[in-house]
Amino acid sequence: MKKLFVVLLSVIMMVIVGGCGSQTTKAPATKDNSIKIGGSSTMAPVIAKCADDFTEKFHTWKKVNDRLPDEPIVIFVATGGSGFGVKSAMNNTVDMGLVSRDVKEAEKAKLTNHTLYTLGYDALTIAVNPQNPVLTVKPDITNDEIKKIFSGEIKTWNQLDPNLPNRPIVLAIRDLGGGASQVFDELIMKGTPIAKEAVQLPSMGALAGKVMDNADAIGYVSVGLVEQNKGKIGVLSVEGIQPTTENIASGKYKIARPLIVIAKATPDDREQQFLNYLQSEKGVKALSSMGFVPVQAK
Amino acid sequence: MHFISKNADSVITLASAAIAAAMALLLLTIFTFIAQESLPAWQQGVLAILTGSEWQPLAEPPQLGLLIMLASTLWSALGAMLIAAPLGVCCAIFLAEFAPDWLTAIIKPVLTMLTGIPSVVYGFLGAAVLVRFFEIKRLLASGESLFCASLVLAIMVIPYIVTGCYSALRSIPAEYRIAVLSMGISKPYAAIHVLLPMARKSMISAISLAFGRAAGETMAVLMLAGNTLLLPTSWFAKGEPLSALIALELGSATVGSPQYHGLFAAGLVLLAFISVINLTIYFSSRDSRNVARLK
Repeated sequence: MKKLFVVLLSVIMMVIVGGCGSQTTKAPATKDNSIKIGGSSTMAPVIAKCADDFTEKFHTWKKVNDRLPDEPIVIFVATGGSGFGVKSAMNNTVDMGLVSRDVKEAEKAKLTNHTLYTLGYDALTIAVNPQNPVLTVKPDITNDEIKKIFSGEIKTWNQLDPNLPNRPIVLAIRDLGGGASQVFDELIMKGTPIAKEAVQLPSMGALAGKVMDNADAIGYVSVGLVEQNKGKIGVLSVEGIQPTTENIASGKYKIARPLIVIAKATPDDREQQFLNYLQSEKGVKALSSMGFVPVQAK
Repeated sequence: MHFISKNADSVITLASAAIAAAMALLLLTIFTFIAQESLPAWQQGVLAILTGSEWQPLAEPPQLGLLIMLASTLWSALGAMLIAAPLGVCCAIFLAEFAPDWLTAIIKPVLTMLTGIPSVVYGFLGAAVLVRFFEIKRLLASGESLFCASLVLAIMVIPYIVTGCYSALRSIPAEYRIAVLSMGISKPYAAIHVLLPMARKSMISAISLAFGRAAGETMAVLMLAGNTLLLPTSWFAKGEPLSALIALELGSATVGSPQYHGLFAAGLVLLAFISVINLTIYFSSRDSRNVARLK
């Protein structure tokens, strides 16, 4: 009996393993009623959170709006980068594309059947340690000075301003291929390579941590993290403009990137409902809770 | 019923053989997938990638040089072994030959627990304590360095070395110890000049395994090595090991871009490197003695 049991068990295990494989190859014959969203890795967490909240609140499409069928809400959010977001919106591989940069004119020309919705802005502040004397000696910095610091031309604090101590500037940046780095490159560096001594941090949180811990550090910290760590991070104004919510939303503070959703010009009912949700105050709340600046309601 | 019990043995043998074949196939698939995804990068020239010191995958034309990363990986891993191997071997000898039983009973479970700590916790501790230490003492402007990475890696691999060497020493038959002690040789001399050479092969394979582990470690070095794009010129310089490069950049690399292919090339290099180490361990520690098998 024991032998039989062991044999049966192993046969059952093999069948289960084999069965797992065949289940995934058999495509379901029903129509796919899910919403597929993909693109920027900056926006994906926010949209995913909104999708989760939306699904939690309503569960089925019928509860959102009576006209819609009584099916469970399924929304997929994928990353892949802003480039992927634009390309897949163009090919209709996804229902909505997420882009965290300006959509270029050449791309807009191909997106004739789509509408672009700007949900908000992600601003990068030039942050230093609160103990850094630069906050009292030279609290405003020009774009050119930022470029010189980050490219390595200005290596010590006293090269920036003679009243500052002779300490080396510790550059904290994000990984060079990522969205934040690209925004910084487009708006400040404009092609000048960042100094090779710059320390690449794996996440914006780690960047903020570095600036908070190291007295000589300077880095581009997302405005949301500065808000969350009031008092622990010092912020320089750029060209005379402070990175406040008003300045960012109005476009006066320049080191910011728009957070855009590319949707079809005539979205079906379900997509329209989700779009409305994203632009409603719940969507705005989710956006600001993640540290982004929502676009001001007109 | 009779059919099953008669053929149960062959059924299970077949099933086990199938699963083993599946595992081997899985390894082959991983290798092939990574090699395939990295092929466009290798077309730039294998030597150019392995010895190039410029990593600018987003520039026009993209530069995919992995020298900095290779140097950082080797430096941090070898540095870790420099710290961990002597400590580990000495600890193992102490535990195997000299420690009283109650001490061994305490230390062995502690070492086992150390292996269970997630590497991200080690990285976080290193960043919070080691990096801050260097910055507060003004020894370095920015505390991350390959030395920090090596130190934390050493702490992570010491348990593996101690366990491996301890088992190697314990597996020497008691007759050798009795014979050696009966000749009036002191214990320390016996341990170093008689037992250590006998356990040499297993100890080397334990140390090589630990080296492979240190070279492949990602989270700890990601937070501690500094991730700069300069060739490291000293142990206290910053660097960017291969594993940290992949972890840092793969999330934001656009699929199909040169950066994507370059990162897969880095992955292939790391995989090949670790595989060579593991194969060397396997072939060098194979028992040449006659071992009876159940066949």
